[in-house]
Amino acid sequence: MSDLANIPITSGRFDAIIVGGGPAGLSAACTLADGGARVAVIERGDWPGSKNMMGGLVFSQPTAQVTPEFWKKAPLERHITRREMWLTTGESVAKAAYESTDFGAEPYNSFSVFRSRFDKWLAGEARAKGALIITETLVEDLLMEGDRVVGVRTGRPDGDLDADVVILCEGVNPFLAEKAGLSKGVKPESLALAVKEVLALPREKLEDRFNLEEGNGAAYEVIGEITGGIPGTGFIYTNRDTVSIGVGVILKDMVDQTHEAYALLERFKAQPQVQRLIHGASPREYAAHLIPEGGYRGMPRLHGNGVLVAGDAAGMVNAVFTEGANLALLSGRMAGETVLRARACGSFEAITLDYYRQQLEKSIVMKDLKTFQNVTPFLSSHPHFFTMYPELASAAVKELLSVDSLSKADKMHLVIKLVRSQMPARKLMRDLYDAWRTFS
Amino acid sequence: MSEERKHRLPSDDRDWKPAKLSVTDKLGLTKFKPDAESHLSIKDKEICHETCRRKYCTHTCPAQVYRWEEEEESISIAYEGCLECGTCRSGGCPYDNIEMSYPRGGFGVQYRFG
Repeated sequence: MSDLANIPITSGRFDAIIVGGGPAGLSAACTLADGGARVAVIERGDWPGSKNMMGGLVFSQPTAQVTPEFWKKAPLERHITRREMWLTTGESVAKAAYESTDFGAEPYNSFSVFRSRFDKWLAGEARAKGALIITETLVEDLLMEGDRVVGVRTGRPDGDLDADVVILCEGVNPFLAEKAGLSKGVKPESLALAVKEVLALPREKLEDRFNLEEGNGAAYEVIGEITGGIPGTGFIYTNRDTVSIGVGVILKDMVDQTHEAYALLERFKAQPQVQRLIHGASPREYAAHLIPEGGYRGMPRLHGNGVLVAGDAAGMVNAVFTEGANLALLSGRMAGETVLRARACGSFEAITLDYYRQQLEKSIVMKDLKTFQNVTPFLSSHPHFFTMYPELASAAVKELLSVDSLSKADKMHLVIKLVRSQMPARKLMRDLYDAWRTFS
Repeated sequence: MSEERKHRLPSDDRDWKPAKLSVTDKLGLTKFKPDAESHLSIKDKEICHETCRRKYCTHTCPAQVYRWEEEEESISIAYEGCLECGTCRSGGCPYDNIEMSYPRGGFGVQYRFG
């Protein structure tokens, strides 16, 4: 630890204190600093991003709302021009892919990033706008006056800081939101544990193997056998000269079945189709993180007197479309706008701060989370979606593609028989109906 | 190796074998600044000893911070390699028997990539 963390903070009172220097906190800081507010971001890591990890993609449109044309200056890895979804049985893979040249030109669609670099850069943007970024400092508690949040207690000597409002962007473990009575904690059925490795691979090799034009990138999501029958996904994202590879599984199901997440990752890496991509690559970093996948139903109360919650701490993750950072950026911005508005009215009561919830409800953040609110419970109650369906899909495609003495009509008949033997018609219809209800 | 031929691996790396990384190997790749004191503790040792048969934390923690020590009949905590994910406080211990806080400011895991 440097001496920095032992220096008392003597900057007096802030309009807003933000706990956590991730996308939500930094986006709120940019908005507030732009609006002329005195704002401090408190980050427990040595720099914003040093504790953060994701798969992961940053999407252009929401990021550009915080810093326009960020792709000209931010430390990005690759713009993603191809997304693939793999259904795997371990032996075989059925793939769905989308590729667009549009995604390879400004304003792009998404980028692979390393959070340790991206968040650090975003903090620089916030600092340039006038926000104070305090690092190496853990917020240990909230200062309360009755039921009203009036500041934070940090781990530094004389580390109490007063503010009109505190925005909690503390990430997936909402220690402070729990203390404030806003969150009842996150349940293991709505958390995914993700483990990830960064593997170094020379640029030309990487572009060759992933069939990419120079600078372009690919993002793969993989479901099926790899998660050992637990609801979850594997992922492979290309960076400049590294590959991010990981596995995410629902914590509750992993605990029940005593699967180890790191063992699942080793199994994923050993799969032939995956091994061909990462062959010869050397490991650089191992990371683990929880993802709040409770969606709309898993959200805490989003505001109280003098306090707001944004980003992962508020459960703002769309697990179906692997979106998190963009929801964090948008929610942080709306939290910032809400505080600016509250400052103009001179009231930081819950009733004034309710504007935040209203804005979120109107935005794609809540609309998307509502659309997919039943997905996580649905997948947990239908674990065979991760085992039987990939196997059936693979068996069916294999039958249709392998040429032998059977006619195609006979093959179709065989496939139907195969599906029926594995899956009684009534159960199949039930699954389809459940899936339709959940995803529509 | 028949295994390799089956997978049609790229010819330039034919001798390469996928590294079977243990969790200790994996943690060796990641940078840590360990504090002198632990930010993790067991609330009630009796629960680990008497009630918890499967010693869940030894499987669920992605950094294998928790180990069951047969001789001491208790869980040992290698907090220095903690990735600060929060699994142990959010269901990774079904008995809710692990007290987790974050390390003090400036300590703990330091992702270079993340």
